[in-house]
Amino acid sequence: MDASMPHRLELIGITKRFPGVLANDNVSFSVKPGEIHALLGENGAGKSTLVKMIYGIMQPDAGEIVWDGQRTVVANPKAARALGIGMVFQHFSLFEALTVLENIALGMDAKIPARELEARIRAVMTQYGLLLDPHRTVATLSVGERQRIEIVRALLLDPKLLIMDEPTSVLTPQEVEQLFDVLRKLAAGGCSILYISHKLHEIKALCDTATILRGGKLVDTCDPKAETSRSMAEKMIGAGLKDIVRAPGRTMGLPKLVVSRLSTKKSGHFDVPVDSVSFVVKAGEIFGIAGVAGNGQNALLDALSGEILGEDKDAITIDGFPLGLLDTTGRRRHGLCAVPEERNGHAAVGDFTLSDNSILTARNRLGMVVLGLINSGAAKTYTGKVITDFAVKALGPSSTAGSLSGGNLQKYIMGREILQRPTVLVVSQPTWGVDAGAAAAIHQALVDLAAEGSAIVVISQDLDELLALCDTLAVINAGQLSDAQKVGEISVEEIGLLMGGVHGTSEARDAIPA
Amino acid sequence: MQFRLEKRAEPSRFMLYATPVGAVILTMIVGAIIFSLIGYDGIGAVREVFLTPLTNAYKWQDLGIKAAPLIIIGTGLSIAYRANVWNIGAEGQYVVGALAGTWVALATYTMSGPWILPLMILAGVVGGALYAAIPALLKTRLNVNEILTSLMLTYASIQLIYYLIRAQWKDPMGIGFPQTRRFAESAQLPTVIPHTIVHLGVPIAIVVALVAWFIMSRSVFGYRMRVVGAAPHAARYGGFSENKTIWLAMLVSGGLAGLAGVLEVAGPFQRMVPGFATGYGFTAIIVAFLGRLNPLGVIFAGIVLAITFVGGEVAQTTIKLPDAATGIFQAMVLFFLLAGDLLVRYRIRRVVTTPAGAA
Repeated sequence: MDASMPHRLELIGITKRFPGVLANDNVSFSVKPGEIHALLGENGAGKSTLVKMIYGIMQPDAGEIVWDGQRTVVANPKAARALGIGMVFQHFSLFEALTVLENIALGMDAKIPARELEARIRAVMTQYGLLLDPHRTVATLSVGERQRIEIVRALLLDPKLLIMDEPTSVLTPQEVEQLFDVLRKLAAGGCSILYISHKLHEIKALCDTATILRGGKLVDTCDPKAETSRSMAEKMIGAGLKDIVRAPGRTMGLPKLVVSRLSTKKSGHFDVPVDSVSFVVKAGEIFGIAGVAGNGQNALLDALSGEILGEDKDAITIDGFPLGLLDTTGRRRHGLCAVPEERNGHAAVGDFTLSDNSILTARNRLGMVVLGLINSGAAKTYTGKVITDFAVKALGPSSTAGSLSGGNLQKYIMGREILQRPTVLVVSQPTWGVDAGAAAAIHQALVDLAAEGSAIVVISQDLDELLALCDTLAVINAGQLSDAQKVGEISVEEIGLLMGGVHGTSEARDAIPA
Repeated sequence: MQFRLEKRAEPSRFMLYATPVGAVILTMIVGAIIFSLIGYDGIGAVREVFLTPLTNAYKWQDLGIKAAPLIIIGTGLSIAYRANVWNIGAEGQYVVGALAGTWVALATYTMSGPWILPLMILAGVVGGALYAAIPALLKTRLNVNEILTSLMLTYASIQLIYYLIRAQWKDPMGIGFPQTRRFAESAQLPTVIPHTIVHLGVPIAIVVALVAWFIMSRSVFGYRMRVVGAAPHAARYGGFSENKTIWLAMLVSGGLAGLAGVLEVAGPFQRMVPGFATGYGFTAIIVAFLGRLNPLGVIFAGIVLAITFVGGEVAQTTIKLPDAATGIFQAMVLFFLLAGDLLVRYRIRRVVTTPAGAA
C-alpha cells in the first residue's frame, strides 16, 4: 500500500461472480481524497456491480475494500452511509405527490425534526449553489431539479465519497455545467467523487483520473485530460471505433412523412401533451427532435406510433396516405414503425422470449400469422436473423428479453424494427444507456436505413447523438416543436436555450443561478 | 447468519411446476396438525379427504362429474386471468348459463328431438357470456372495477333463481316445492359410460381444456391475452387495445362458466333447484391458479379440487368432519400456492454477515 498518500477508497482484487458471468474479475484501483474519478465502461462491463459493492448493496466474492486505510466490509447501504459513502442513482426514487422536504425526510436514516432538516437542506443548497424550493411538490419539478434532490439528500450526510451513476443523461447542456460546478466545489472541499458515465468529453472536462473496465476486468487507469475521447472509447470497447459511414453524394427525396398540427389530449396527471406539432421528413432524411425529458416526447412518440389514437386523419401522412386514424397495427402495415424509449415493458416484454417479442411488432409485416395462428418457426427464424445481424449477445431466440442487458435488448429492439424495412421509423432514445460500441452500430444501422430511402425521426435527449446523426433538428419544449433547422447551421447554445424553454418557463428561470 | 431473497435472472420453470405440488402437500401436513389440535382425527381427516377418493374406485365417477365443471370454468378463468382481467363472478355466470338452459328446456318441454340439447348448451354459453358482459361494459365505459361488479352480480343471480322457481318456472306437480319440473328426456345430458353417473360433460371438459390450451399457446388471441397480462404498455404498442381484451376475456370466461352451468343443470340436477349454486365458480378460481393459468394444468388442478369435494363428503360421514372443512382445505391450497409463488422469481440464499463497518 502506498504510505505517502492515504487513499480514501482502495479496491484490491475485487471479484464478483454471477451464474454464468464473471461480473468483476480481480479489479483494483484507488481514489484519493478530493479526486474526481471516472469509472468508464460498456454496458455489462461491471461498473454497476462494482459500485453496488462499494455501496453495500452486494458483497464481493473475493477481494478487499479499504476505506481510509482500513479493511472494511460494507454490509449494506446504511453501513455505507455511516462510513460517509453517498450515492446518486441513475433512476431516482422519489414520490411525485410529496414535497422536496418530505422526500428527503423519508430517505434519512436518522429522524430529524422537519424544521431542523429544512435549515440543513437550505444550508447545503446555499453552499453548493443548488437552487430548489423545499416546499415544492416533486411532480412539478423538471428532471434536473429532481436530480438536485437526490444530490442534496446525499450531501446532507456530509459524504467523503459520492458515487454518481450516469448523472447527465437527462440534463440540458446548461444543467450539466451547473452540476459540474457543484461537483468541483465538492471535490475542492475534499469529497471524493466516483463518476460513472460513458460520455467521454464530460469525463475529459471533469475528471482527474479514469478507470476503464471491459468485460469485468480493469483495462487501464489513465488521465482523461491526456487522452482523446477516441482513445478512451477504443480502450472501452477493446477495438477500433467505427465512424458513421455515409454514402457519398447523398440526396434526399420527396417528403415522406408529413405531420401537420398533431395534438394530443392531456391524459395522466403528470404528463405533457403534444400541442399542434408540424414537421416534414423527406425520404433519406434523419430528423432529430431534441429536448429535456418530460416535455411531451412520450406523447409525441405515442401519437406517431398510433398508441394514442388521433382524431384527424390528415395529421399524419406517409406519401400522402393519411394514417391519423389508424392504430399501431394499421400504421405498421403502411410502413410506420416506432421504438419507444422504455425498453422493458413497453418496447419488449421482459418475461417473454425474444422470439415472442418479435411477434409483438413484426407479426403482420412479416407474415407470422396465418388464419389467426402464429407461425412460431417464422418468428424464430426472424429473431435469429436480428440476433446475428445486430450482434445481440443472447443465447438464442428463446432467451427471455428480461435476461438481456439494457444495451443488448436495445440492439435487439432496433434490429427487430429496422429489419422490417419500414418506410418511416420513429425512435425515442435509441442509444440511452447503451455503450459506445453498440451505439455506433445502432447509429450506422439508422444511417443505412435512411440511405435506402426511409424517413427517420430520432427523439433524443442526447444532443451529441442528434448532432452526429441527424440532417435536420427541431427542439420540443412544453409539448411544442420549434422550427426545423439544418444541423450545422444551429449552435449548441441556441439549441440549449430552446431546450430550456423559449417561452420563459420556470425551468429556464431556475436554470440560471440567482 | 440470516436468509435473504435474491431475484432470479430467469423465472424458475422447476418452481413453476413444483410449487402447486408443494402447496397440496403442505395443505395435507398443516391440515392434519390443525384438525388434530381442534380435537379431530387430523391424520384421518387428511386420509379421508385426499386419499379415499383416489383409492376407492367407486368414488372415481364422483370425481369425474365434480371435476368437469371445475375444469370448464377454471379454463375460462385461466384465460381471463392471463390478461389480468379479474372475473371472480364465474359463479354468477354459471348460474345464469344454467338458467338460460333451463329456460330452453322448459320452453321445449312438450317437444322432443336431438336439437334441444345443443340449443340448451348454446343458450347456456350465451347466457353466461351476456352476464359477464355487464362487468365488461362497466369496466370499459366507466372504469368500474370488475372484481366488485362480477362478484356482486353473483348474489343477484342467485336471487334470480329463487324468483324464477317460485314464480313462472315453478313445477306445477311439485306440491309447492320451489323448483322446476324435471326436464324432458331430450333435455337431459346423456351418460357416456353405461351404469355410471358419468355424463357427457366430462369429455366436454377435457376437450374444452385441450382446445383452450391450443388456442392460448398458438393463436394471436392467446398471444394477446398473455401480452396484455404480462406488460399492458407493450400490448398497446403491439396493437392490442385494452378494452377489446377486457371484452374478450370476460365473454370467454363468462361463456365457459355458462357452459358448465347448463351441463350441470342438464346433467346431475335435471331441474333447477334453490341449492343449484354450490360454489363451483368460486372453487374454479383456485383451480385456475393451481393449474398455473395453463389449461392443461387446469385439468389436473380440477381433479385435485374435486378430490377435496368428494373427500370432504366422505370425511363428513366417516369421521364426522364438519362440512366447512372442505373449504378450509381448499383455501389452504390457494394460500400456500400464492405464498410459494415467490420462489418462482426469487431464491432463498443464506447470507453470512460479519459486523458492518470498521470506521
